[in-house]
Amino acid sequence: MLSNSLPKTLIIVPAYNEEDSIASTLTTLMRIREKISTVDVCVINDGSKDRTVEIASQFDIVLLDLPQNLGIGGAVQTGYKYADKHGYDIAIQFDADGQHNADDLRELIQPIINNEADMVIGSRFLEKTQYKGSSARRLGIYYFYLILKFLTGQRFTDPTSGFRAKNAKVIKLFAENYPKDYPEPEVLILLHKKGLRIKEITAHMNARQGGVSSINSWKSIYYMAKVTLSIVMQKIIKE
Amino acid sequence: MSITIFSFVVVVLFFLIIIESVRRGVLETRDSILWIIMSIVLGILSLSEGLLEYLADLLGVHYAPSLLFLVGLLGVLIMIFDLTRRISKLNHKLTNITQEYAIFKEETLDEIEQLRDEIAQIRKKEEE
Repeated sequence: MLSNSLPKTLIIVPAYNEEDSIASTLTTLMRIREKISTVDVCVINDGSKDRTVEIASQFDIVLLDLPQNLGIGGAVQTGYKYADKHGYDIAIQFDADGQHNADDLRELIQPIINNEADMVIGSRFLEKTQYKGSSARRLGIYYFYLILKFLTGQRFTDPTSGFRAKNAKVIKLFAENYPKDYPEPEVLILLHKKGLRIKEITAHMNARQGGVSSINSWKSIYYMAKVTLSIVMQKIIKE
Repeated sequence: MSITIFSFVVVVLFFLIIIESVRRGVLETRDSILWIIMSIVLGILSLSEGLLEYLADLLGVHYAPSLLFLVGLLGVLIMIFDLTRRISKLNHKLTNITQEYAIFKEETLDEIEQLRDEIAQIRKKEEE
């Protein structure tokens, strides 16, 4: 495929206090941008208190600098609003902490280019990959898998994966309405209710390079309860 | 001083504070309605022991003043729930404004940079 026939793509990188890993993440993404000119990178600084902005602004990116910390949902939604406003065909969420693998990007957007899906999820567990989470984490992910299978009837092997590509239809939907608290699993319910197609592909993820995961192990049971409640609420919420 | 008069005086003072707050613009009118209704209901109930006794009897409450607590507590619950709803709504608005601001700032800075470049080019030409 010729590069000029590629869809306009925005890679959304939410960053909150990611000074340790943002530079290497952006370097990787810039290499992709050099190869494919229709790709833009958008960093959303979610009110970081460290040097995230200073580092990010040295790269050729769109920097959306939130004056207040909105949390992951609000930060990522800013990216979708920007993408919707500037007519991007595809948006990809890419974590700043270096967990996501840029080599998978092309495979991630292929089902959208082929119009096979409205959203594509990069899954760590669809096939056996190098990724090894702790057994507690895998158990948690399996628990969400069961809940979502019960609520949507579809199998999501990695419902908490943030590595996802969306088409323009989903971008528009997210610009207007994006779950704030635990967006990854909640979004699956939202799209299912709207009758949009979700597909999973295999993604290879690395261990975190820096920063602190939004999931602390000792709080995990409380976290699971809150996410469960959010998922169920999302199911019954009125549009 | 009996508790009846004491509680009535408190309610009246409270009522006056509400009205004064609205008058000074510290409290918005629509926010004051729930408070005014509550203070009037509490005022009536605390003053007329007969009414309170009658209602308590009707509801099978043996100790009439405890009905007063119940009414007050329910009022407070409604009030807090209303407040939580308002906070959610404000939060939603604040999120929206923050996002719009960030996007606007990015676009404006871009434009300013472009304008600067253009100005610099024009100056260069003039010098030549």
